[in-house]
Amino acid sequence: MRTVAIFSEADRESLHVRQADEAFCVGPGPVPRSYLNIPNIISTALITGCDAIHPGYGFLAENARFAQICADHGLTFIGPKPEVIIAMGDKATAKRVMRDAGVATTPGSDILESVDEGLQYAEQIGYPVLLKATAGGGGKGMRVVESAGEMERAYASATAEAEASFKDGRVYMEKLIIDPRHIEVQVLGDEYGNIVHLGERDCSVQKPSHQKLIEESPAPHLSDRARESLLDMAVRACKHVHYSNAGTLEFLVSGDNVYFMEMNTRIQVEHPVTEMVYSVDLVKEQIRIAAGEPLGYEQHDLQLRGHAIECRINAEDPQNNFAPQAGKLTRVLFPGGPGVRVDTHVFSGATVPPYYDSMIAKIIAFGASRDAAIARMERALRETVVEGVSTTIDYCLEILATPQFREGRYDIGFLPRLLAQSGGVSTRALT
Amino acid sequence: MSDEHPSPGVAQRVRALAELFVETDLLRLRIERDGETYELGRKMLHRDDVPEMPHDLASIEAPAVRADQIKADLVGIFHLSRPAPSEGDLLESDRELAFVEALGIRNPVRSLGAGRILAIKKADGDPVEYGAVLFEIDRG
Repeated sequence: MRTVAIFSEADRESLHVRQADEAFCVGPGPVPRSYLNIPNIISTALITGCDAIHPGYGFLAENARFAQICADHGLTFIGPKPEVIIAMGDKATAKRVMRDAGVATTPGSDILESVDEGLQYAEQIGYPVLLKATAGGGGKGMRVVESAGEMERAYASATAEAEASFKDGRVYMEKLIIDPRHIEVQVLGDEYGNIVHLGERDCSVQKPSHQKLIEESPAPHLSDRARESLLDMAVRACKHVHYSNAGTLEFLVSGDNVYFMEMNTRIQVEHPVTEMVYSVDLVKEQIRIAAGEPLGYEQHDLQLRGHAIECRINAEDPQNNFAPQAGKLTRVLFPGGPGVRVDTHVFSGATVPPYYDSMIAKIIAFGASRDAAIARMERALRETVVEGVSTTIDYCLEILATPQFREGRYDIGFLPRLLAQSGGVSTRALT
Repeated sequence: MSDEHPSPGVAQRVRALAELFVETDLLRLRIERDGETYELGRKMLHRDDVPEMPHDLASIEAPAVRADQIKADLVGIFHLSRPAPSEGDLLESDRELAFVEALGIRNPVRSLGAGRILAIKKADGDPVEYGAVLFEIDRG
């Protein structure tokens, strides 16, 4: 299959541009003028004779309008149908749909129309609460509000960040459950009503900004009851909305209690850990499904084998609130060997532009057991060299070495607590 | 030129020479007559370059020669407007040179002023990306 990559002027040297059969510049560095520039993206697809557009996992990946515009121009959007994106991608609506499907959700509001509405709702469910972008992901447009006094400022910054990131400034509110685990379920559905899950991923190692740093599959120490509940709810929810293509349902897990949080109607950053333990190429499956092919297998055909961990290598300074680092990568060496996978767009001499997410690589390690996967990941991280900017490599190694991670007993408060103890950041620990 | 404040006659002669010079491909022209020396120079530049003249020519009111690049500001198919412009054409003022057709919409590409077309960088019907150089215009 031949591919056409799009890129901004700031990404001209990026590896994805070099590896595609063709590449087209769609605008200057700033996101609204390039990666969110729908006319230029559609025009590129049309003049290069594309059949389909894979939207990746950022920018327009969960934009129903974009999916509809693709359809209007005879292009296949590799993802769910626009109406399903609207129902499930919009997080406030998704919760209502989930409640209809009998799936447990955290107490939360519909879309908030004003600060005053936010204040009223927070009084009902009690502080602390979370403001979340309804179009959001990756921690963008999300704010913790601990008291009424913080609401106005948090509401303003969450809506502004959501608008800048997703062209959709709407936010909703959720009760903040203290120290749950963030566990998500990977699903695949075809256009004929067949739905399967590909197990769960534990994504509880999150920065104070709620951005994930380390993910693994399967989730360690998850009770059989909680796992069964998660997987069952995910499949039930997808059947309820006639979901097709790849998707992820995110849950908060506290003991055996499982609460649906949101659904990402796209492939996710951390999908490789699932690919490693299920030996399924999820992106290939997405393309097959979008082309109208049936899944061709059932739940019992999918067998989990071994354990996989992903570490995100970000151009960030962990000693300075994970401040993003832009600049030239003077030297880059990635690890290799059996059970080690590297997904990246950078190389020695590449420049990290200031416009985008700071993730420059993902390193994924597979092992027959969790211990083996951890050992392999540690070796892979030590082999990795990135010079020119600060990265999260050493910090990931520190996390892997903690007793909490070793024992697989951590929740979303783990990393903020660790940072607070080390004095690395001045932030609220979610404890 | 030796006089920093040339008489109207001198200025007129220089202007006439400059206009002739612009129409040629000459890079430098030096004329000595009646004890006066006129020297005109040309240098091919990109938009971002600063026009540079030899120090001894700095006071001549010769036209500053400057090549502008007209770039595509959207993705689409490039078409020359009719009558089709050619390399070497003189443009007396701003005019439409071409258009980029994108999603069925005709997006004009204008010369953005007077000049001479040094190069047409795309052929009629070529797909163009954002930032693609379409024309080089001598603004001299």
